[in-house]
Amino acid sequence: MYGEIGNKLVQHAKRTQSLAHLPPYQTELVRAVTREVRDLDKDVATILEPFAGSFNPSAEPATACALLVNHLCMRRDKRCLLAYHRTRTDKLEEMCWSGIDVLERQQQQSQKGAGEGSGAAMGADGTGSSLSPEEEEYVRQYSDLLASYKGQWTDIDLTGSLEPPKDLFIDVRVLKDAGEIQTEYGAITLTKNSQFYVRQGDVERLIAQGYLQRLS
Amino acid sequence: MDIDDLLAEVAVDTTPQETRDLQALTRAWVAERVAPEMLAWPGSLMERVLERVRRQIELVEDQTGSMDPKTNFKLIVIQTELERFKFLVRSFLRSRLRKIDAHPLHILALHTDADEMHPLLSPAEHQYLTSHQTLLSTHYASSFLSQFPSSLQRLDDTTGGISMVDKPDEDAAVFVRVLRDVGEVAVEGTEKRFEMKRGDVWKMYDITPGVAGSDRWARDEGQNAVHSGERTK
Amino acid sequence: MALPLPPGLTPPEIAFICEMELVTIIPRQRLEGLELLGGPLKPLNPPQRASLPLWLALLLKRQRRANIIPPPWLSPDSLAAILQFETESSPDAFSPPPRLPPPPSSTTIPLSSPFLPSSTADAPADALPYHWLELGSMLLEAAPDDFDDADEVRKLLRGLREARMAKLRQGVEVLDAGGGFKMNGVGGMELGEARSFITGVVDGLRKIGKSREEARRERERENGYSPSQNYEDDEMDMR
Repeated sequence: MYGEIGNKLVQHAKRTQSLAHLPPYQTELVRAVTREVRDLDKDVATILEPFAGSFNPSAEPATACALLVNHLCMRRDKRCLLAYHRTRTDKLEEMCWSGIDVLERQQQQSQKGAGEGSGAAMGADGTGSSLSPEEEEYVRQYSDLLASYKGQWTDIDLTGSLEPPKDLFIDVRVLKDAGEIQTEYGAITLTKNSQFYVRQGDVERLIAQGYLQRLS
Repeated sequence: MDIDDLLAEVAVDTTPQETRDLQALTRAWVAERVAPEMLAWPGSLMERVLERVRRQIELVEDQTGSMDPKTNFKLIVIQTELERFKFLVRSFLRSRLRKIDAHPLHILALHTDADEMHPLLSPAEHQYLTSHQTLLSTHYASSFLSQFPSSLQRLDDTTGGISMVDKPDEDAAVFVRVLRDVGEVAVEGTEKRFEMKRGDVWKMYDITPGVAGSDRWARDEGQNAVHSGERTK
Repeated sequence: MALPLPPGLTPPEIAFICEMELVTIIPRQRLEGLELLGGPLKPLNPPQRASLPLWLALLLKRQRRANIIPPPWLSPDSLAAILQFETESSPDAFSPPPRLPPPPSSTTIPLSSPFLPSSTADAPADALPYHWLELGSMLLEAAPDDFDDADEVRKLLRGLREARMAKLRQGVEVLDAGGGFKMNGVGGMELGEARSFITGVVDGLRKIGKSREEARRERERENGYSPSQNYEDDEMDMR
């Protein structure tokens, strides 16, 4: 049945949308759908051959219908392939935006996969990467594009938080001596039981480490 | 209708330009966040805002390090406000990028058709869109499309009932606030008529095709601007 | 994706907008004038009242540099009267929003919330402004000591919220009104919370209506074979 493999690709794409990671590229399915399109195109040529360029659809309704079905299947296949690839590039772009080094992560994953000898992290082509070589190239190029677009807006930090700023400055109490820290306003000496009004970003780590307590 | 035009017309107003720009930027941001379609680039507004942000960052950098508590508190106020502006501009630009990424060919066509004085995209956005499209086309071509019959290789193909060009749902329901009396509005295909008065908040849909996306209605969620008919160009 | 957020404003974004509302403060310390990005800030001289954006008022309050004067509508008397109106006089519709200032000249774009002074000390006492819920909650949280009876205000706000939520839910019946419906008096945060639900219902109904219409046209076309329709219907949403 024509279109069936294309549907499988769309199912993969739909699943990919809700995953945090990118599942392996379906090299075989992509090849099969592409092959189907070429076969359909050959069919069309074969059907049309006897008419030598003077095909009249209303005179040959049955042939016209067959041609229409072929055409629709090819377009359907194309749409499926586009949707599949676009879903994956969307995912890759999202990773670029959130500052994930996709290629480095791929490398680690494939090394891990090779080391354990397990098939779990292996791509469909058996190389261990879930990206196709074309996708790896795409990530490289898109990262460059993003960097150059971002570069035009350095003042507002385009990849910064999309949550509205809240409590930029907070009151903190020092729970244990933490010595001197550098903030945007110069150095502050954190001695036990003292209180400060500081930029949250400057002290987040110290709060996490238990040196400071945030006062509401 | 461009926000900048509106601002130019209120020169007689005593409100400082900075305050009016904040009002316009807020409205532009909300509208861009909630509208399904791409709205025109507010060029001169963005130039003024970005220039002020740049100067304010310089000021903070110059005065940082001063341990004088008075200066220190002033800097806290300035930086808090600066972060608010940075967020507004960032969220605004990224809302637009999301639309550019979702419907590139549709938006490019609209941009090409737009009046040169009121472009849909900024030069940087236009550059991003075309570069991104080139990357995607190359990617599709090397992944599968180059092995297709040549008649099927185009990406802007809309024939055969299966369009390869995605469009936003321009008829999606929107919330609007009426800023000026609009008068009667007809609902397509029905006898229904609404009277829309200044200050009203409406949830609207099915109002003659594309009207929700036309320049008669600048929307911003519950605080949507609706200009009366004669205000449009 | 450049912006991984759902359509419509998120509650933190609505609160962010609300923080641009002007409120009235009584400064406790002097502050020199400042050239801010959103316009100049006049010098603060205690005990002279000043109107400034809520975000700045909250910052000054947290630093104990100012007290905030709650807007008149946020008093127990006003809230009790509005609550009575919402529950008894007008059980179906929201209480009317504050009266608008006279319209500006025909060339000026009219201001709207958060840039209308609807929460300063001289704002009207008899109507809930657009950001009533979020502004009330923020002031109660940051400046409870600036209220005469914060607990009573809190209780009345909760009552209002419940009464109005029930109305929003009931309103679902009118969603199939076709074309649109008026929601005058609705608040920003209320709209934000109900938005995805209302939009979902409305857009769902719109699409059903559209496909019904298409099916009808399909039947009317006698022999017109148009396979594309069916294809578009089961097309997955792959944007």
